[in-house]
Formats: sequence, C-alpha cells, structure tokens
Amino acid sequence: MNSMTLQCLVCVMCLVVLQAQAEEAPDVRQPLRFEGYPGAPEFEVVPRKDELFFYPCAQCHETMEPNPEIRTLNTMHDAEIEHGRGRIWCLSCHNLENRNYLNTLLNELVDFDEAHLVCGGCHANRHKDWYFGAHGKRVASWQGDRTLYNCTHCHNAHSPAIQPRAPKPAPPVRAGLERQPGIQHEKSAVWDTHVEREEQ
Amino acid sequence: MSNETGSGNDGDKFDQARRNFLRGIGMGTAAAVAQPAWGGQTFQDTFADFFQKDYRRMSAEEIEAALERIERKAQARYDVEIECQNTPPQPGVVYGYAINISRCKGYRDCVHACVKENNLGRDSQMQYIRVLELDQGDFNLEHSDHYYEPETVPVEGKHYLPVQCMQCDDPPCVKACPVEATWMEPDGIVVVDYDWCIGCRYCMAACPYWARHFNWTVPEIPAEEMNTNTHYLGNRPRPRGVVEKCHFCIHRTRKGQQPACMEACPTGSRIFGNLLDPDSEIRYVLANKQVFRLKEDLGTEPKFWYYSD
Amino acid sequence: MPVIRFIFDGVREMFRGPREYWIWLAVLSLVVLFGAARYSQQLTEGLVVTGMSDQVSWGFYISNFAFLVGIAAAAVLLVIPAYIFDRKDVKEVVLVGEGMAVAAVTMAILFVIADLGRPDRLWHMIPVIGRFHWPISLLAWDVLVLSVYFLLNLAIPFYVLYSRYRGKEPNFRLYFPFVVIAMFWAISIHTVTAFLFSANPARPFWHTALLGPRFIASAFASGPALIIITLQIVRKLTSYNVSQTVIDLLALIMTTALQISLFFVGAELFTDFYNEGAHAASIHYLFFGLGGFYSLKAWIWFALALNLTAVVILMIHPLRQKTLMLNIACVLTFVGIWIEKGMGLVIPGFVPTPLGEIFEYWPTSVELAVAAAIWAFGVLIFTLLAKAVIAIEQGKLRYRAKDAMYPL
Repeated sequence: MNSMTLQCLVCVMCLVVLQAQAEEAPDVRQPLRFEGYPGAPEFEVVPRKDELFFYPCAQCHETMEPNPEIRTLNTMHDAEIEHGRGRIWCLSCHNLENRNYLNTLLNELVDFDEAHLVCGGCHANRHKDWYFGAHGKRVASWQGDRTLYNCTHCHNAHSPAIQPRAPKPAPPVRAGLERQPGIQHEKSAVWDTHVEREEQ
Repeated sequence: MSNETGSGNDGDKFDQARRNFLRGIGMGTAAAVAQPAWGGQTFQDTFADFFQKDYRRMSAEEIEAALERIERKAQARYDVEIECQNTPPQPGVVYGYAINISRCKGYRDCVHACVKENNLGRDSQMQYIRVLELDQGDFNLEHSDHYYEPETVPVEGKHYLPVQCMQCDDPPCVKACPVEATWMEPDGIVVVDYDWCIGCRYCMAACPYWARHFNWTVPEIPAEEMNTNTHYLGNRPRPRGVVEKCHFCIHRTRKGQQPACMEACPTGSRIFGNLLDPDSEIRYVLANKQVFRLKEDLGTEPKFWYYSD
Repeated sequence: MPVIRFIFDGVREMFRGPREYWIWLAVLSLVVLFGAARYSQQLTEGLVVTGMSDQVSWGFYISNFAFLVGIAAAAVLLVIPAYIFDRKDVKEVVLVGEGMAVAAVTMAILFVIADLGRPDRLWHMIPVIGRFHWPISLLAWDVLVLSVYFLLNLAIPFYVLYSRYRGKEPNFRLYFPFVVIAMFWAISIHTVTAFLFSANPARPFWHTALLGPRFIASAFASGPALIIITLQIVRKLTSYNVSQTVIDLLALIMTTALQISLFFVGAELFTDFYNEGAHAASIHYLFFGLGGFYSLKAWIWFALALNLTAVVILMIHPLRQKTLMLNIACVLTFVGIWIEKGMGLVIPGFVPTPLGEIFEYWPTSVELAVAAAIWAFGVLIFTLLAKAVIAIEQGKLRYRAKDAMYPL
C-alpha cells in the first residue's frame, strides 16, 4: 500500500511543506545508553517504517500543539491501548517533541525501525531472548546473515497479545480408512478428582 | 541436475566391474528399446532402478544417473520438471531443533507448510508433524487430542505440543532396519533411501515418537503444487510401499535455509541451528532455558528440545 | 545317481494317492490360488488394501508370523526325546514333526514377505550384493535364524530318509551334531522372534523381559496341540504306526507348558495393573478397552477362557487320557494361543500409538484371503512332505538298483 496517497487524504494542504521538513530533519539518533547484549550475534532488523500507515507522523503533528497531558485520545489513533494495564500511555513510547521517533524510558530517541529498543525497556528478558534468538523470528535462514523481525512485526504495540485464530485442518487418516470416533478421555486433572471426592 | 555430488563412494574393484557390467547391459537395452514403456519408463530406466545400489555405496556417477532417473520419473508420473539434488552435509554442522511450547498456539501452520514443502501425498494423507492438544497441568500424551478443531486456538485451559522426528542421536529406527536403508548423516539428520527400503515397517514399530510414516499407496501430488526443489534423501517424489520421515528439510537446511515448519510458524516458537556452534541460537536456548526432551528416558538422545519462557 | 532317484521317487510319491487325497490337494490349491489372486491386488494397489495404517503398522500378517515361529520351534519337543533320550516311539514320528517345522517356517517367512511394501527388493537383504544389517537389526537376526532352521529341518530328515531309502541305517554320529544344533536353534528362533518385539522401548507392551519366556511357553503349548492332532490324523488315515505313548508324552508337555504360559500371563497382568502407569495403557486396551475403543476385548477374554478350559481338562488325568477330551483341549489351546500370541500380542503394541492416539485395526478381506492362502500352502507342504516321509519310513519306497535304468 502506498502510504503517501492515503496521507494525501488526511492532510492534503500541508503535505508538500511538511514532506520537505521531514526530509530535512537531522539525524537525531544519539548513542543509546543500552548497547545491546554482549555476546549476541550480529543482526539486522527488517525495516517497518514503509508499512506504517501514518508515518512520517510529524506530517500532521507538526501543525498541532504538543500536549503532554495523560488522556484518552479521541482521534484517528487507537483510543484504547491494551498494553501495560493502564500504566503506560502514548507518550510512554512516542516522543513528544519529534513524532517521527519513539523514545525510551530514558527519553532517548529511537527510530521506528528499531522499535525493539523501546520494547526492551520494560520487557528486558524477552528483549535479551530476542537478541540471542530464543524469542521472535529470524528471516529465511538459520545460517549466515541474521535478519530479525522486529517486535512490532508480530505484536501490535497498542495491543500486543496475539489474538486467537482458527487452526488449520486436523490431520486426516490414510487413504481408504475412516476417521474413528474421538477418544473419550477420562478426567485427568488431579484437582477435579479432589473436588468430586469432597462433593460425595 | 546438481553438480553438488555428495558422499558416494569411489567404489572398489568389485563395484567397478559390476558397474561396467550393468552399463554394458544398459547400452544394449537402450538400443533395443528406445520408446518409453513400462509405465512411462524406458526399460533401461526400470532395469537400472531395480538394480540401483543403496545410496551409500553408489559412486558419484551412479548417484548422478539416479538423480536423472528420478527427474525423468517425476516428469512421466506428475508431468512436472523437478530438480533433484544431492547437496552434501556441511562440515562442522549438526542440526538441533527447539520449540518454545509457551509460544505455540496450535495453529498447525507448520503441519501444512511441511506437507507442501515436502511433496507429501495429498491422497495418501501423510503428515510429518502432529500438534497435540493437552489440558493444562497434564503432560500425559495419552490424554492428548490430535484432531482438535475448535473455532479458534489457543483454547482456554489447553496447551499445545508439536511432535515430529526428533533426529535421535542413537536412533532406534536405524538399528531396526534389516537392510540399512536408513541411517544418520554426518549432520545428524536421520534419512531414508526410498530406493533401498523394503517396506517391512520395523522402524515404525521401533520409533518412540511416531515419526515414521509409510506410503500405503502411491503419493498423489497435484502437479501445480509440486515443490520442484528436491533432494535425493529428502522431498523427492516417493515410490509406493516405502517408509519416510521428517528430514529437517534437508534440501533447504543444507543450503542454510530454515526448515519449512520453522519459516511457517507465525509465533516464532521454532528455533533451529547448528549444535556445534556455541554462538548459535539453538545453543543459547539450551544454555539459558529450562529445556526437556520427550521420552528422554528411552535413551535415544533426541536432538529436539522443548522449552518455555 | 541315487540322490536324483530319491528326489524323483519322493516327489512321485507325493503325487500318488487315492481320490480323497487328490481332492484334499485340490481344495488346498484352490485356497492358495484364491489368496494369490488377492495378493496380486495387494501387489498392484499397495498395502492400502489392508487395514493397516501408520498408527497400527503391523497387523494380521505379522500376528500369524509370530504364532507360526512358535509352531516351528515346537518340533524340538519331538527332536529332544527322540535323539537325546533315544525314545524309539518318538523317533518313529520325529520326521513328521520336522516336516511340520519346515511347513511352519515356510508359512512364517511367507507372512513376512506378504507384509513387505516392496517384495521386489527382497534381494537387498542378501549379504554382499545387498546390505544385511546383521548383527544389529533384530529382523536381520530373525531372517538368519529362520533360514538356517529351515535348512536344518530339511537337511536332517533328508539325510535320514535318504539312508532309509537306500536300505541303510543313518550314521548317527554324522547327523547327531546337527540335531544338537537344531535343538538350540529351535529355541533361538522363537527367542529371537520375541526379542524382535521386546527390543522396542517405544512399545511398552512388548518391552518386557518376560516376552521371550512367554513365547517359548506358549509355543510349547500350541505346538504339541497341533502335533497331537496331526499324529492322530496320520494314524487314522494311514497304516503308519503312531504310538499312543508319544501322544501321552506330548500331552504332558503341553499341560506343563500351558500352565507356565498362563502363569506368565498372570504375572504380566499383575505387574501392569497393580500400579497402573502409562505402560499399562496397551494391556488396558486389550483387556478392558481404552477411551471408548475395545475391539480386542472380547477376543482376548475368549482366548483366556479357551486356555483356562484347556488347562483344566489337561490337568485332570482321567480327562486328559480320553482321546476326545484331549482333542478338545488341543483345539482350545491352539486357537487360544493363536489369538493371544497373534493379534493379542501384535496389535496392542500399537494401541495407543507412542503419541497417545488410539486408532483401531481390523484385517480386510485381502489380508484374510492371503493369510488363508499361506496357511493352506503350509498345510499343502506338510501333506506332501508327510506323504513321502511315511512311505519311506514304512519301507514302501526303496531304492532298487534295477530301477536305476528307469529313464528320468
């Protein structure tokens, strides 16, 4: 999807001006205090900015007054964030001054392509596992160049729990044979037998 | 046709003599029978198939000839041009697999990706991977449901356990085979020579993981769904009446690619890599996670671990 | 050449007889032909025509194989008293027993071949040109011991009969070493067959040290049962002298063996059921059903009932000495062990599968027809061998020098 065309609908008027500004924006990326986990193999992260619907965010936000007050947004953004159980809100991860960037808990600017640095601020254990390959997904190869999908590739940052979905079809039985009735399992949970015993 | 020819023997004098002899017969019959016969095969191919030696005793040229016959057979049977390779094992590599069972949601994406990737018979209905659904607090496989079909997974109160070939380091199936048609390759993958297996199914009785499957009938694969990237020891079209099993996608992994099940997993539960590389992802999991292996007490040394986080 | 004449005369004797004999041969041949036709269907379509599946990957064929190896081994129960204890009465029928062993081994091997997915590749087993995975694979062991046993049971009677044919007494010192080997070999074939199953920790139902002893005990019950009935048939149909003392001896052996066999079954049941762990799932399926599946339940209780009835008859001396009661006990034992050591042993090994799935197996008409054909073929072989053996033993068939001029 070409995000540019969609952005036109949102903000036709100021597109040209802001586009120019966004391109002129200096590389504000400073060295982070977090320098990765020692010993973790090198990797690259699959870029994701191109897939973001509203990016560059500053296109719109440049024209708005930054408002640091914690509130529920009544705009085109997700009103409810199912993340952090009320302990975080938009500006916990998004930078107030420069909307084209995320920020860490230490207020360091982070590019959208490196969202994992933000996630890792709270989810340090997962983040470490992801660095070393015990969490997340590597692209295509097990050997050679290591490219990782970002956290936000699988998890919606505003509602990170993976949603249930339909499973693929159950296994068939071999050609020529019929599927047999399901196994009637006896109750296996120990607590159930205790409950039954007490009821009697 | 691949130039990467693997571990075929150079052959001793006996082999050489026998080969020359067979070649002589082959030439003669080729002249006599030029037109395809014998179920779309030339008499020459049928003859060569029948007398084909087992993989580990074939010379490089014999393997090459066998690969060409396999390609011709696929053309005749499925009308598909496949490429059958013989990619050798990488030195210094032994494969290991780990599954994060706290991530697995039971989608079965791996199962169906495997069916397509490995040209498993759609009609004979074989699958290398079984995903078991178990009650939380229960790990007794006899209580597992193999055929769960709820609206959505994961189901509340259930957990999921994918099982496939564990590529045991002391594989009971290899010991069982009366004709040495199955063995462990240097990279730790237990493979089957489908052209050498006699179909006695003793290995199926010996496997504690139900990882071995039999071609009760000729595997039917829709031509348009045929994966044309194949390997002699892997996903080439199989004949009827022989045993097959998961081979860690040997045609992919030996070239550095992930196995199809891993690539298909939407949850990233599957970790695959080189056990001999201390910096590999699989070794990180083994060193830093609480891992277990299924039926470890049987002493088969599976190279397939489960962990949770 | 007397050897050629011997074979020629022997074969001619096999196909000489009254009309009833020919009808008998014809009936057996018809069953064989019918089964062969069904087998050709299996050859062209694959094992998909059987009831076997990835879940239950061995079925009726291997069940019969396991049982028949036991029958073959039981011939040793005539060999030992005949040659070691030098019992004249047993010696007279020992060749009939060995003929039975030959027929049983043939059937066992045919059942394995019928079970193969690729019988065309059987040559892969031949050492040097193929790859024979010996001594690691138990199946390679089984092939080896069965082939040698087959040869021993052909060679010893061949030599003995050939000597008789020429009117000489066989040289005891020449064939005695082979008799000793054959004795141990008989035990080995059934032990190896038991090990074939018990070597699989993947299948807890089979994975018990008791399986070998159980196999031997049940073989020494079912084998004599068959021999007793066969000897009576021989006695009835021919003028061949079958001493009652032989039958009494076999009945006694059978009684003891059946008692031991049932004791072993009891020991198995106790061990599995006292603390019913996951290892007991298969035996639970066999005896009580599991998860709503119980196709073998009725059969195993039936088999147990047959064996218990038989053992009661056999243990009461006056009953055992009545021919009719003895014959009933023999039939009950034979059928009972056939169920118990056939389907009752092989199928539960696969139910539930190592992954806990329960998928039931039932043989198809193809399997039944092929099995019937193999049994008929075995009976046919035995009939022919016994026919020639009896003729030579009775002295009806002798080498005569003047016949040597007879054009072959």
